[in-house]
Amino acid sequence: MQSNSLFEKMSSRLDELSILPKLDEAVSIPQLIEEKGFSRREFMGWAAAMTSMLMLPANFTPLVAKAAELADRLPLVWLHMAECTGCSESLLRSSSPSIDSLIFDYISLEYHETIMAASGWQAEQNLEHAMEKYKGKYILMVEGGIPQGLSDFYLTVGAHGKTGEKHAKEAAENAAAIFAIGTCSSFGGVQAAAPNPTNAQPLSKITNKTVINVPGCPPSESNIVGTLVHFILYGTLPALDIYNRPKWAYGLRIHDACERRGRFDAGEFVQQFGDEGAKKGFCLYKVGCKGPYTFNNCSKQKFNQGTSWPIQSGHGCMGCSEPNFWDTMGIVHEPLANRLYHTTFGGLGSDATADKIGLGLLTVTAVAIAAHAAISVLKNPEV
Amino acid sequence: MSSTHTKSATIEQHIDIEGHVGIDEHIGRDLEYSAAYRWQHWIRAFSIVALIATGFYIAVPVITPAATNEPTNFLYALFRTWHIIIGFVFISAILLKSYLFIFAKKHVNERAALKDMINPIVWAKQIGFYLLINKHPKLKGVYNPMQFMAYLLFYLMAFSLIITGLILYVHVYHEGLGAFLYEPMRSVEVMLGGLAFVRELHHMLMWGVILFILIHIYIAVYNAIFIREGTIDAIISGVKWHKRV
Ligand code: HEM
Ligand code: SF4
Ligand code: SF4
Repeated sequence: MQSNSLFEKMSSRLDELSILPKLDEAVSIPQLIEEKGFSRREFMGWAAAMTSMLMLPANFTPLVAKAAELADRLPLVWLHMAECTGCSESLLRSSSPSIDSLIFDYISLEYHETIMAASGWQAEQNLEHAMEKYKGKYILMVEGGIPQGLSDFYLTVGAHGKTGEKHAKEAAENAAAIFAIGTCSSFGGVQAAAPNPTNAQPLSKITNKTVINVPGCPPSESNIVGTLVHFILYGTLPALDIYNRPKWAYGLRIHDACERRGRFDAGEFVQQFGDEGAKKGFCLYKVGCKGPYTFNNCSKQKFNQGTSWPIQSGHGCMGCSEPNFWDTMGIVHEPLANRLYHTTFGGLGSDATADKIGLGLLTVTAVAIAAHAAISVLKNPEV
Repeated sequence: MSSTHTKSATIEQHIDIEGHVGIDEHIGRDLEYSAAYRWQHWIRAFSIVALIATGFYIAVPVITPAATNEPTNFLYALFRTWHIIIGFVFISAILLKSYLFIFAKKHVNERAALKDMINPIVWAKQIGFYLLINKHPKLKGVYNPMQFMAYLLFYLMAFSLIITGLILYVHVYHEGLGAFLYEPMRSVEVMLGGLAFVRELHHMLMWGVILFILIHIYIAVYNAIFIREGTIDAIISGVKWHKRV
């Protein structure tokens, strides 16, 4: 029943969208996909996978396919802030582009600082033009952390020398939906790690409009395009977890759906890279896997057109889709319990683990107790 | 002190300083700890030891089976299961004790300790006693102010361990109680700064408890030796010996 009414709602939304003008009247997405050598069958296979990823019943596949074909009705503005462009690269630079990246590549043409042809004054003008022409209709995707306040000058972009903060604020003002792509724009990322010299902040701190976070370093291509398809289908924002991440992608920990989980519960751990356990595919917990603290769907969606993902290839999860993961996840190749504390006791406890500090305190206490006991025996306490 | 205690006998057997065994009407036997109190103390003590042992293993699994293709006994899962089962025993003991402290009739002598807690003179005398300067202060309740402070701190750590433990728990079991607690626990998780820090905090709190245990046992033994009121026996039999004045 419920899925019936949802089906109808989505169908009518797609009908509405289909009347809107296309990005380029001479090109259509189905045509583009065919030109790049994908058969209709392959395209429908992709749509079926996308349907299941978005946790919709299989009979929604034609709708998802249609949504993908209508992706060029919603103009996309993609801004780069303080970042490494890894998120864009994750989508764009593959030797055999997937349907995800094809669609994305095409709809990004409106304004995407990496792939657009324009530069300098022209680029600046294009952005203003797009924001004016599609006011209230465009989807804004932002990559990168944003130096804020007195530190905003650390990011100055373009011919007018505008700060990133200003760019982001303006673009967010009239966007239909705002997505922070990658951990940097979702949570600040590497440049926001302590001591955060440029005061880099997540997009959600820059604008007071609702921001959907799609973190990951980088997020998988399917999480980026899935977020887009979801918005096209529903027209509303997805169910979000406590960090404003779409639940369909970030609802479970890496650890919950990890292929090595059986090894974890069995207590079979890789002790050191390259050992016998590593060859047998044992759990990577002891060599630093942070899967138990990280919410993402990497094990299901994988990377590079579903080829592999970190844990499959034998390296632990680094916790990249969590807030402040550079600061909270400890040493990459050690379990969390072995993280080092740098500043405890004015440097006395520098580079010690919690266990070492605990043992130290225990020793000091034991010595104090022994001294107190000895004195008490010599000089009996008064009762 | 005797005002809050139930007198169970007026004439008691007495062993005096010189070692003479005899009857002394100046020493009385008082019910210090109720049966529920003593049971939960020992259940909690054993559960804490077990939680520390399993906790260390969960943090860094030191024993691992050899790398073979033989069927396994799911060692890590077992450790975790026991940790969680005993964790709930610990939670029950702490909740029971908190209830007793606040409401139970027999525990007025515990609540009376609050009066000593806010009395600076008792504080000064208590510190003086442990510094071997003056006599032990006369108390209204069963705990001296330093002891009360230490226990307060212990309960703070215990409840923090329970909250952080439950946050970790809802990510291990997603159904039943886990499902029920999921949303509230996740809000606390975010307030604390993410799951990784929750785990770290859980670990640090364990060290707080270990330090507490060491000091706790030392002071208990110290009192047993020097004050000679049967302090350690009291947590088993329930009664303490007090001078009647
Ligand atoms: C005296 C009390 C306790 C002590 C000393 C203790 C100790 C520990 C330690 C050291 C860890 C490993 C943390 C790390 O990785 O660094 C841990 C994990 C854990 N504890 Fe406790 N704990 C206590 C109470 C509890 C309670 C009351 C619960 C609630 C049921 C609980 C549930 C858990 C869970 C679920 C984990 C994580 C297991 C996993 O994710 O595989 N603990 N505990
Ligand atoms: S490899 Fe990492 S995510 Fe997978 S089971 Fe082990 S600890 Fe969990
Ligand atoms: S496995 Fe972990 S570190 Fe790697 S991409 Fe996924 S969430 Fe990020």
